Amino acid sequence: MRVFIYILVALVTISTIFRQFSAEHIEYEYYKQGFSELPVQVGGRIKPLDSVARNTLLILSGRQTVIAPDGSKLSAIEWFIDLCMRPEIADTYRVFKIEFPDELGLDGLAEKSKRYFSFNDLQPYFAEIQTVYQNIEPEPQKRTAYERQIAEIYNGLILYNNTLQSLHPTGNSERLDRLIDEYQSYETLIATGLKALKNQQAGEAYDENALNAFIAYADSYLKLSQTARLRIIPPQQNNQAEFLSDWKNVGLELLDAIKGSPLSPSIKQYAQLTMAYRSNDAETFNQGVATLKATFKQEYPKAYSRSQFERWFNGFKPFALSIQLYIFAFILLLISWLKWTTPLNHSAFWIILITFLIHTFGLVARMYIQGRPPVTNLYSSAVFVGWGAVLLGIVIERFYKNGIGGAMASIVGFATLIIAHHLAMTGDTLEMMRAVLDSNFWLATHVVIITLGYSAMFLAGALAIAFICMGLFSKNFSKEDARSLTNMVYGITCFAALFSLVGTILGGIWADQSWGRFWGWDPKENGALMIVIMGAIVLHARWGGICKERGIMNLAICGNIITAWSWFGTNLLGVGLHSYGFTDSGFFAMLLFILSQLWFIGMSFIPWSFWRSAYGRNQLAKS
Amino acid sequence: MHTLLKFFSSLRLTVVLLTLSLVLIFFGTLDQVEYGIWETQKRYFESFLVVWSYPLQAPAGASLQWLKIPLPGGYLLGGFLLINLLAAHATRFKLTWKKSGLFCIHFGLILLLISELLTDIVSEESQMAIDEGGQANYSETVLENELVFIDCSQSDLDTVHTIPTTLLEKGKRIAIPDSDLSVRAIQYYPNAKIARAPEASEASALNRTIANRGIVERIDLQVFEQPMDYSQDAINTATAFIEIFDASDTSLGIWLVSNVIDERFPPQTIQTKSKSLEIALRFKRTYHPFTVELLDFTHEKYPGTEIPYNFSSEVFVNDLNQNKKQKALIYMNHPLRYGGLTFYQASFANEDTTSILQVVKNPGWLLPYISVLLMGLGMCFQFGMHFIKFLRKAKH
Repeated sequence: MRVFIYILVALVTISTIFRQFSAEHIEYEYYKQGFSELPVQVGGRIKPLDSVARNTLLILSGRQTVIAPDGSKLSAIEWFIDLCMRPEIADTYRVFKIEFPDELGLDGLAEKSKRYFSFNDLQPYFAEIQTVYQNIEPEPQKRTAYERQIAEIYNGLILYNNTLQSLHPTGNSERLDRLIDEYQSYETLIATGLKALKNQQAGEAYDENALNAFIAYADSYLKLSQTARLRIIPPQQNNQAEFLSDWKNVGLELLDAIKGSPLSPSIKQYAQLTMAYRSNDAETFNQGVATLKATFKQEYPKAYSRSQFERWFNGFKPFALSIQLYIFAFILLLISWLKWTTPLNHSAFWIILITFLIHTFGLVARMYIQGRPPVTNLYSSAVFVGWGAVLLGIVIERFYKNGIGGAMASIVGFATLIIAHHLAMTGDTLEMMRAVLDSNFWLATHVVIITLGYSAMFLAGALAIAFICMGLFSKNFSKEDARSLTNMVYGITCFAALFSLVGTILGGIWADQSWGRFWGWDPKENGALMIVIMGAIVLHARWGGICKERGIMNLAICGNIITAWSWFGTNLLGVGLHSYGFTDSGFFAMLLFILSQLWFIGMSFIPWSFWRSAYGRNQLAKS
Repeated sequence: MHTLLKFFSSLRLTVVLLTLSLVLIFFGTLDQVEYGIWETQKRYFESFLVVWSYPLQAPAGASLQWLKIPLPGGYLLGGFLLINLLAAHATRFKLTWKKSGLFCIHFGLILLLISELLTDIVSEESQMAIDEGGQANYSETVLENELVFIDCSQSDLDTVHTIPTTLLEKGKRIAIPDSDLSVRAIQYYPNAKIARAPEASEASALNRTIANRGIVERIDLQVFEQPMDYSQDAINTATAFIEIFDASDTSLGIWLVSNVIDERFPPQTIQTKSKSLEIALRFKRTYHPFTVELLDFTHEKYPGTEIPYNFSSEVFVNDLNQNKKQKALIYMNHPLRYGGLTFYQASFANEDTTSILQVVKNPGWLLPYISVLLMGLGMCFQFGMHFIKFLRKAKH
């Protein structure tokens, strides 16, 4: 039986990992993977087109794949290729997610309870959306749910349109099929057009046709330079630091040709790609991708390997894999308390260890891509809080070997990665750091330490919840178990207090260094201080014998509420120097979390006579 | 006496005080939405008692308006915590090796509380705006205002007499130094709106100024009182009607002064037989014995975005007394410390040609560093001991 369980668990684990690797469907006819690795500059960062495609799709529709009208599933990059190269087809894909279409007041839009809309579905309402948008509250913080939804659609349409124009000018299919010709005729027109312009201004005879054609081109490219979202053309001579080098978007590159600089070969290669793709010429497409890649590799070896790695990392999704494995380990541990204790306990421990390694790999990979310490924004803090909690849980599990530490570690790891997943909906999670935060030293010390403090608080709170649940329902939960669990919570709280205090004070020193104010009573600072005080309350209550086991557990659960408030609640307020913005749906999630914690505290006050555990009976006898 | 000491040194009191601090900080964070950071800090943390009331804008605000929670303020709680800590050490604790970590932590905490109190009382913050190529010898704070009388009779030196606006609010008669004049505020508005009066209409007659000298002789102005705006970065337009009296107690007239009637307008003056004084209500200024010259301000962004990558000011400090000169580069996380003051890069204006430096005077700035060191070491020591004990137990 024991061997059978080990084999079964190993099989499930391996198949989960394997499935993750082969989750992305790749088409071989076109070298789309190569295309997705091409680096572009957007949001101040050089990243592969794959990341652009995924993040854009996430913002528009909250997921990373598209279901085409014929029912087939497209990956983000396939959607992106269609968007740029076959817009007439991409316009029929339902990529705009509208949560409550019937509340928009757009006649005829809401039908048969669908939530995803294509560009063509929305087209009849453009004028209406724009008029409504112009009249809504300008300050995003103060908008109502309705106004926020309108703004989301409006901004989504702009994003869609600007992304669509990233690689080359757009227009009807005729124009897209003749891109190379267009560039050529434009290049030859520049000289005659400029001459005609000069003659016209001087009041001399001029070539009217040439001038008009030239002005039409320039006009169209000027518009393009303002809307094209991605900067796809790297600078010719690169003498600046890589991350400060200014790439050009396609419109700007075309306009600069007027000043006499020749068109970059990449712009023509992108045009070639589009024409090849439109005429089903896979061979030319693949060749074009290979050439573009080779050029980048030669000129930007570092950025190239980084963006190649990022593309791979996007597909691997270590955090999604970790989510599945953490919950698997948790379920195994739940079963282990009923039956097959030792083998399940062992295998769960190993799964947690493996998952922790995958989780760690994800963290390190993000650090490599961004060149920063692990925590730089709310998303990465969620990933890191889970990581810290799992690490602590593994340490506890090593000492106590009763599965409780492991179970709580895996559930905190699972929950925080789910939170991270939802935070990722805002787009790029590897955005650039604002100047005041741009200090690797402080990011590595203050931010990391304070986030570890969150991890410890949450783990202590989770252990306390385990205490109450097991005390109430598990018959085997003895007095000794209760004592060792209390010791765990105490130890973790000591750790939490230390890290929160040191982290908070380091934050104070950072603030003193950058604003001349050690302490400013800013919401985020107050939140951190509240965690420190909460830790101090738990420790003093225990030392003074003011609270017994149950009281300490309730305080630890309060710690969960305080930590959640410090982590997210202060961002909901939207004041102070630290608030990095958060959506309102977060408010309800927060409220729900607090209520659930209060519910557990309430449960703990159920009279001892209803506690089914040996510990509970013992307490009853005492009283 | 014994019971009193026992009460003040008990751990129970510690836990109660800590819990109250937790609650105070929570409400002190919530109210920042309503009152902004500065005002909340004063109400909650630099006070003895505060009453929180349910905000009108929150859900069900209208029906929950009656909900008010009185709380002990920061000074009260901090003071009690200090007494509690000192009393506990006087009675319960003995200095042993085992307890030395706790001593370290608690002593660090005492130092931190004291340094925070010190900062509240003595620290001063102001801002210095300098144009590129220009220089400044004063900094100002938009949170406070002052009424000034400037004597420009000497050619190379102006004499400035200042009256803080807190004195104006009481409407008392105040003598102007170095002259036989005195001043009284007829009206003082912490925030107001000043507008050009429309052609004589009935409605406007109500708000017509009572001033009769200075700027109102040339422009017809109206003053509307406004509630204080506590939101971040908001600047309140402090405004007053000021009546000046001469030695024989005869009124010389009423002037309208406001911090929006600044250098852009010709100065308002009081003319007597012996003297000519400029009068103005302006942001509180602090003059320094040195000038700061801005050589260059740079503002870099990440390519293609509005995300700032770096701000920096290259400055030249010119000491007037000692003929000392010093060049410095001030940028994010790298302030300049000079003459007991610290200069931080705070902001910029005028399309990146004006740099705004935060000027902070905080003599106690080093204390938190010491207390941090003490508390960190103490905790590491104390918890380290716990941990070693635990490891030993786990081995057996």
